[in-house]
Amino acid sequence: MQPVAGQLIVGQPVAGIGLRAPHLAEIVRERPATGFLEIHAENYLAGSPALQALESLRSDYALSIHAVGLSLGSVEGLDEAHLARVAALVKRVEPALVSDHLSWSSVDGRYFNDLLPLPYTEESLAVVVRNVQHVQEALGRTISVENPSCYLAFAQSTISEPEFLAELSRRSGCGLLLDVNNIAVTAHNLGLVANDWLDLPGEAITQYHLAGHAANDADGERILIDDHGSRVSDGVWSLFAEVVERFGRRPTLVEWDTDLPALPVLLEEAARAASVGGRGAARAA
Amino acid sequence: MPLALRDLQRAFAAHLAGDDQPALAAEVRPGAARLGIHRHHVLDSLASALAATFPTVQAVVGADYFRGLARAFIGGSLPVQPVLAEYGADFPAFVAGHDVSRGLPYLADVARLDWALNLAFHAPAGDRLVAADLATVPADRLPALRLALAPGTALVGSPYPLDRIWRASQPGAPADPVDLASGGVHLLVLRRPDDAVFVALSAGEAAFARGIAEGLSLEDAAGRGASGFDLSAAFARLLGLGVLAAVQ
Repeated sequence: MQPVAGQLIVGQPVAGIGLRAPHLAEIVRERPATGFLEIHAENYLAGSPALQALESLRSDYALSIHAVGLSLGSVEGLDEAHLARVAALVKRVEPALVSDHLSWSSVDGRYFNDLLPLPYTEESLAVVVRNVQHVQEALGRTISVENPSCYLAFAQSTISEPEFLAELSRRSGCGLLLDVNNIAVTAHNLGLVANDWLDLPGEAITQYHLAGHAANDADGERILIDDHGSRVSDGVWSLFAEVVERFGRRPTLVEWDTDLPALPVLLEEAARAASVGGRGAARAA
Repeated sequence: MPLALRDLQRAFAAHLAGDDQPALAAEVRPGAARLGIHRHHVLDSLASALAATFPTVQAVVGADYFRGLARAFIGGSLPVQPVLAEYGADFPAFVAGHDVSRGLPYLADVARLDWALNLAFHAPAGDRLVAADLATVPADRLPALRLALAPGTALVGSPYPLDRIWRASQPGAPADPVDLASGGVHLLVLRRPDDAVFVALSAGEAAFARGIAEGLSLEDAAGRGASGFDLSAAFARLLGLGVLAAVQ
């Protein structure tokens, strides 16, 4: 099954930005040129003036709905009420892209507001495949699943993350959202090799994400934190160039959620992302 | 024997809620200390969500104290779904029962006002009655009319001058002390097209609005006001504020 990309065509050199509350009025007023706008589903489910603004932007921008709360890795299955609200938003907004993460956030009816890690086992794979298929049936379309930023691993894991993602895509038909910053963060934190993610099935990849990360020293140990609070690091730009070289271009989002900069800075970062992999530009990045 | 996924997720949840889990810790690589990153993130991000929903409470007690208050609340009241704008309904009651309310007896009312403003901001726009909608209703039928309050409209009463406390807590407000003994208020919280605000009502107007919300006819709702209550003036005021809607 070919993942749906709507107005965003795989291979197009487009990059987009997140639509965040402090920039909303400026974007509505100025309608700056950018490849697409991304929203977090959970910020637009309660109804608000922001949702009305989003509807007014639909005619000028392709949209990407990025969910953070579906909890695709929950062994207890999905929160049906929440899924219904996300499905209603997808129907209302008709985004080009829909995605969530390879992680879990809920157990026993409590929601932890974090992208929590899964052990990569056959048991987990069966759970995530079942949940992804259920979301896709509820939405009537494929979704893309993003590689998470990891701070720990489980001794019981028997499958590498890239293998897990590849098998998830093969069994569920979902697309893959490759977050290049998350690869760098996970590889650093767990002592893995970033190039292992270059073995993913390229035809399943529908989007890329880029973001800045922070480095924390915990008891003398340097840990990278995926805080979306700064410019994309040089190392991540280099890895992104390799990713584009390997898989080709995809719609690319620059994520910036904390210490939000002025809108032009964010647009400039997205423009740089769009230039990577262009003829004569690939090596310059 | 590795933990089954259900047991692992339950143990992880217990760890996040503050209860260390040796069986989980034994599974974690490179070391159990990494679990602390998630515990910290859960508490910190939920405290930030509460600060966004209860900005006036935070302004009154200060950011550092608010973090501690929020963390104490979160441990016993984790979200039950992922929409964080809907998280914190129990926070005003928690504040009312917390030691902080002994020194700041109005703080729980501040929390109730913040929560009502949050609900109003996220309420559906909905159809609101305007004067023209009532032009076809014969004057003698108006007293028997039953209406509703528009989505997001709420009444917040307090024995303290809550409106002045709220204004004094806004960024850039002059640091004039508020006289807590200056009397209580009846505030009506409402959604406007781009924001949520409150206005002060008289006791009679507040009783009238509460009667409408309870499904009473305008005449019966007016009976909730004090003697000499001016029904037509109160009705015109609520209509003008855009807080009246047809019964659904």
